[in-house]
Amino acid sequence: MIMKSLTRRRVAVTAALSTLALGLAACSSGSSDDASAPLEGEVSGDITLLTPIFEGTAGQKLLEDELLPKFYEEYPDVTVSVDYTTYGNLNEKLTTAAVSGAVPDVMMMGVGWIEGFAERGLLADLSDLGLTEDELLKSYTPAIVDAGTWDGGVYAVPIMLDTRFGVARMDLLKEAGYDAPPQTWDELVEMAQALTVRDDKGTLERTGFDIMSLDSRQAFETMLFSADGDLFDDDDTAPAFNGPEGTSALQLMTDLVNEYKVEDIGFSSTDEAVNPLLNGRAAMGIAHNNLWTQGLEADPEMLDNLEPFIIQGDGQGMFFGGTLATRSATSKNPEAAQALLEFLASPDAALAANEQRGNVPALTELLDSDYVQGNRFVQFAMENLDVAKREGGPAEWLEVRGDFAPAVESALLGQKEPQDALDDLAGLVQTAIDR
Amino acid sequence: MALLTPAITPADDVRPAGPPPRKHRPVARTRNKVLLHVALMLGAVTMIIPFVWMIFTSVKSPAELAQYPPTFFPQEWHWSNYADALDAAPFGLYFRNSFIIATGHTLITLVVGSMAGYALARIRFRGREIVFLTLVAMLMIPTYTKIVPQFLIVKFMPLFGGNDILGQGGTGWLNTWWALIIPGGLSATSIFLFRQFYLSLPKELEEAARLDGLGEFRIFLQIYTPLIKPAIATVGLLTFQESWNNFLWPLLVTTTENLRVIQVGLAVFQQLDNTSWHYLMAGTTLATVPMVVLFVAAQKYFIQGFTSSGIK
Repeated sequence: MIMKSLTRRRVAVTAALSTLALGLAACSSGSSDDASAPLEGEVSGDITLLTPIFEGTAGQKLLEDELLPKFYEEYPDVTVSVDYTTYGNLNEKLTTAAVSGAVPDVMMMGVGWIEGFAERGLLADLSDLGLTEDELLKSYTPAIVDAGTWDGGVYAVPIMLDTRFGVARMDLLKEAGYDAPPQTWDELVEMAQALTVRDDKGTLERTGFDIMSLDSRQAFETMLFSADGDLFDDDDTAPAFNGPEGTSALQLMTDLVNEYKVEDIGFSSTDEAVNPLLNGRAAMGIAHNNLWTQGLEADPEMLDNLEPFIIQGDGQGMFFGGTLATRSATSKNPEAAQALLEFLASPDAALAANEQRGNVPALTELLDSDYVQGNRFVQFAMENLDVAKREGGPAEWLEVRGDFAPAVESALLGQKEPQDALDDLAGLVQTAIDR
Repeated sequence: MALLTPAITPADDVRPAGPPPRKHRPVARTRNKVLLHVALMLGAVTMIIPFVWMIFTSVKSPAELAQYPPTFFPQEWHWSNYADALDAAPFGLYFRNSFIIATGHTLITLVVGSMAGYALARIRFRGREIVFLTLVAMLMIPTYTKIVPQFLIVKFMPLFGGNDILGQGGTGWLNTWWALIIPGGLSATSIFLFRQFYLSLPKELEEAARLDGLGEFRIFLQIYTPLIKPAIATVGLLTFQESWNNFLWPLLVTTTENLRVIQVGLAVFQQLDNTSWHYLMAGTTLATVPMVVLFVAAQKYFIQGFTSSGIK
């Protein structure tokens, strides 16, 4: 009876919000006799939330002054203590929490993180309280749902996405006689060469295709997906990035630097004060969706010249990461924790969180929102989420992901052949998986 | 020509032998001085330019920051960046917390560290060398490797935060000033530095003091410690600076904004794939003010300390 009461309340909440929770209601009421039925009890208690988003005064106000009061209206017997952290130190925060047993009830973490923490038993299977994969698939694209699942269980619900795709400066392309971004790798190389500008001494003034302004791992992954490659095999037990697709992707990146002289090592970096696409030092490049937000601050008129595009090879190159909400497996108030998790993933809350950070909502239905329609990069990302691929896969991903950038950079620097660099990296990754 | 012809002095007349007079000595000395000053000025400019760049960046607009080639002098001075940066996080609270923690660390280091350094330098006891070598070995341990063990000690601190005598059942020192101040209160580096300073003092002072009937603690407090003011300034400033810049530990052991520090506030401006450089530089400029003030106040002793301890 208590469970039915809980379900009724959730249905009432979601009348204006989400098909997600409607699905939960249907599922949970139908599974009341099941052995894995939701835990009984009132939705009450003191819970903790660990979040790398909602940071700063603006984020804190949004969460504590706008969103949580709405949550408390529905769940007056729940109290939420918020622990704000940064993405840069989230791993340390989670690790110390895990080893000490002081695990927050609800934790936000990144795409590719779920598998490792789920395998260690840190995360609860959300389907225990009714949030099944089938229900999520009604609201999210399969790849996004996949980012929150592991070993047949649902361990996370996506809230926001970070995407990376091609961006072209159309004003510079038109000057060079092109009226559209490249449609193939051959076109990409040809246009990048034509758009590259060097002075009389050969010093690079403008790169035709910038791959240095984002993390080398993510640049490689975007090109790998563009080659129709994958990071790992289907069951995530062996590397696949060193196959023909990965090798051709890294070969292309290496050729762009060393053979076609499209970009020099050190021309740009992840620490650059401004993305070179914004000040005309790059004609095309791989960029994060928040380039739009940066452009709004730096030079709003220039935004008309920015054109997003999928990097087309044998596949479609678009990368996504993001932030997902998880529930602790050891939470003393699992119903309250799950209620908060579902609330944060609900359309209104997720939209507000994405708008505050300029990110891409994961919920498909938010494509029509004013925010998405007003941000061309976010809109483009959402319209193409069905072709986007993510990083991660095996539980050891967090352990090995740091090895990717040195491997990619060793090829870009000419220290290793692309195939050798990827094979060596694959050896390291396989060792970690087999350990 | 007149300048190159040395004037004959009585001293020249009476000099019977030896090396010939150095005719160009004043010129060479002047030239060396000029070269030295030029080198020092170049060094000073090299050191100060990043600082000036930080201040100039802090008053630029995002549009100006996006320009290429980048400007050095701001085209427009946006002092409002400072107000906006301060609004982006509760910096007043963070500033207070950082000050309390840094002051606490410095006091503990100066009091306990100087005692430990004195003991290792001037008191003979069995195992002193082993203790000292252990201390030196501790200097080699990377901070990151100590974080998890330290965190566990803090979490399972008996009889605190609801913990029982075995450290179970509660949160220990987590979310308390204890966790912020005690674990970082004393470092092997500071004890090592104090030891080196105490070692450099003459033994006769100690012997005279003992003849006058002073005990060990008074010899430490009244005879030797007043002679190592440069050491106190040096270790104090280094400790304060390290503590002021601490970021990870305060973030790990606290979950409430009320105990967060200024470096956590600065991290707000550095999001994934997007850094608000103008706000970050404004906040960083403000965060450096206490350190600059402290250095100016203790500059004389600080430089003496560095010189006599051989730290460069």
